[in-house]
Amino acid sequence: MNLAVVLVWLVVVVSALVQIGVSHGHRQLVQQWQTLEKHSDALQQEQTQLVLELAALTSYSRIDQRARRELNMIEPQQVRILSQ
Amino acid sequence: MTASQHDHSAQGITRWRFVLVLMVMVALLLLILVRLISLHTVDQPFLFEEGEKRIVRAQVQPARRGMITDRFGKPLAVSTAVTDISLNPQVFDLDQVASLAKVLGISANRLTQQITAARQRGRGFFYVDRQVQPAQADQVVALGLEGLQFESRFRRYYPAAEVTAHVVGIVDIDGNGQEGLELAYNDYLTGTGGRRTVIRDRYGRVVKQLAVESVAQPGHDLRLTIDLRLQYLAYRELMAAVRQHHAASGSAVLLDAHNGEVLAMVNQPSYNPNNRAGLKPAYMRNRALADVLEPGSTMKPFTVAAALDSGRYTPSTLVDTSPGYLRVKNKTIRDHRDYGVLDVTGVITKSSNVGVTLISADLGAETVFKIMSAAGLGQATGLGFPGESVGILPYPEQMDDLRLATVSYGYGMAVSPLQLAQSYTSFTQHGCRLNATLLLDSESRPDCQRVMSDKVARQVLDILETVTSDLGTGRRARVAGYRVGGKTGTAHKVGENGYEDATYNAVFAGIAPLTDPDLVLVVAIDEPQGREYYGGEVAAPVFSRIMEQALRLRQIAPDDSTAASLIVAGGPK
Repeated sequence: MNLAVVLVWLVVVVSALVQIGVSHGHRQLVQQWQTLEKHSDALQQEQTQLVLELAALTSYSRIDQRARRELNMIEPQQVRILSQ
Repeated sequence: MTASQHDHSAQGITRWRFVLVLMVMVALLLLILVRLISLHTVDQPFLFEEGEKRIVRAQVQPARRGMITDRFGKPLAVSTAVTDISLNPQVFDLDQVASLAKVLGISANRLTQQITAARQRGRGFFYVDRQVQPAQADQVVALGLEGLQFESRFRRYYPAAEVTAHVVGIVDIDGNGQEGLELAYNDYLTGTGGRRTVIRDRYGRVVKQLAVESVAQPGHDLRLTIDLRLQYLAYRELMAAVRQHHAASGSAVLLDAHNGEVLAMVNQPSYNPNNRAGLKPAYMRNRALADVLEPGSTMKPFTVAAALDSGRYTPSTLVDTSPGYLRVKNKTIRDHRDYGVLDVTGVITKSSNVGVTLISADLGAETVFKIMSAAGLGQATGLGFPGESVGILPYPEQMDDLRLATVSYGYGMAVSPLQLAQSYTSFTQHGCRLNATLLLDSESRPDCQRVMSDKVARQVLDILETVTSDLGTGRRARVAGYRVGGKTGTAHKVGENGYEDATYNAVFAGIAPLTDPDLVLVVAIDEPQGREYYGGEVAAPVFSRIMEQALRLRQIAPDDSTAASLIVAGGPK
C-alpha cells in the first residue's frame, strides 16, 4: 500500500518535471521557428529586390542606350549579302 | 519584564488590546479573502480577457502577389515588401516630429499641423507615409518613437514600365488588379494572407502558437508569351514612327506564326505604371485589343482567298478594272488610277478596289462572310482581356451590293489590330487559323479553324509577296535577305460627318519569311499628320524595321534565294 503511494507520488513528480521540460523545449522551438521565418522573409525580400535590380540593370533600353552612347555601337547599315 | 507584563494584565488593559489587534488582523484577512474570492469569481472573466489581450496576439502575414514574367522569365511585374507607417496623434510626442520628418524626408511643419489637426478632431490614427522602402522603415523603427505603427504590405513594381504597361496592366494601392492582365487574372495572382493566434511573453517573443486561422499562400506566377526583347524593339520603333508622323496613336502586334503566341503587343501613347501621378485613362487603354479600326485593303487577301478557294479563279484569272472606277448603287468606287486588265495577283499587288469589288460581286455575300468569319473577324479572340473589342463584321443578310463591295476591301467593318494579326495566321498555317494566346502555359490549345485550303493559302502567300515587289504598294516593307509578304491598308477615319477626307488609319499586315513563315506582324498608325499617310508610306517602314530586327533576334535564316545565304554586317564603304 505504502509502496504504491510512493510510486504514484514519484510518477506524478517525474511527469510534472517532464512536462516543464517539454513545454520549455517547445517554447524554444517556437522561438527558433519564428526567427527562421523572419529570416526567410528577409531573404525573400532581398531576393525580390535583387530581381528588380537585375531587371533594371539589364533592361533592354538601358543596354541599348549604353551600347550606343558609351561603346559607340550602331546597327549594321551597310549589309553585304554574299551569295553561295 | 514578566513583572511588568503581569502588571499590565492586572490593570485589565492587555486583554482588550490583544482582542482588538486580533480582530483587526482577522478583519484584514477576511478582506483579503473576500477580495480574492471576488477576483476569482466575479471579476474573473474580465481579468482573464484583459490578461489574454496582453499576451495573445494575432499575427498577420500579407499575401504575396504572384509575379508576371515574359516567356523567358524576365520579370514584368514584381511585388516587394514596403511598410505603411501610421501614427496615433494622441500618444505621439510633438517634440519628436522633427526627427521623424527628417528620416522620412517630409516637411516637419506640415506633419505638426496634421498632428494638431487630428488631435483636435479626436482622431487616433492617420498614415504618416505609405509604401516606405524597407531600409527607410528600419531607420524609423530605430528611432523608437511612441505612437508609431508599422504595417507590412506589398508594392507592385513594373521593371519594364511603359514598354509592357498595356499588356500587364496595373494594380491599385491596395494591390487589386485595375487594368490589363493584372485585372483579368486577379484571383489567380492574388494569394491568401496568413493569420494565426500566438502567445507572446513580456519581451515580445512568441512562445506558443494557439491557432492557425489561415495559412499564407502566395499567389501564382503568370508566364506570358511576350518576348521582352521583341516587345522592347517593337515599342521603340513604333514610338519613333508615331513621333515622326505626329500621329495620334499607334499599335503593333507580333505573333508567332507557328502557334499564335503573342510575342509583342505595343501601343502608343503609353504610361509609366510605377508612377501613378497623372495617369490618363486614354493612355492606359490597350489599343491593340480595345480599339477597332477599319482594316481597309488588308482585307483584300481574304476576298481573293475566297475567290481562289471557290475554284472559279486562279491567281492568273483576268479581271478588267478599267476605267478605274465603278458605280455601285449611288456610290463610286475608285482606284488610284486606271489599272486596265489585271490578273487576280495584280489586283492585290496594285490594291485595286474595283478588282476586289468585281470579284466579291461574283462570289456573293455568303462566301465573303464565311471566310472572314472563319478568320476570326468580328469575334472575340478568347484572350479574356478586359475591355477587348469584338469588332464588327456584317452578316450576309445585312450586306447589300454596296456593303458587300466595301467589305471586300475592308470598309464598313471594324477589327482590332490583334484580330487582324490573328486572321493572317490563316495564310501561314496552311489555311488553318490559330487563336492568339498570351499565356505560355495554356496546355489545352484549341484546334485551328479551317479558313481555306492549303493550296490556296500558299497561293495567297505568293500573291502577298508581290505587294513588296517593285510593282507593289508595300515596297518599303521589304527586309534585306528575306522574302516578305504583306498587305498595306489605308482607311479614312469616320468623323462626325461620315468619312473624313484628311484623317486616316495607316495599316500594314505582313508575314516573314515566306518560305517557312515564322512571324506575323501588324502595324497600325492612327491619324498620321503630314504628307505621308498611306499604309505603304507610314506603316510599312515600321513593319520593315521591326521585322528585320525580330528575325535577326530569333535567328531565322535568310530565305531570299535571289540574294543568298549569308548576310555580313558592315561591308565595304
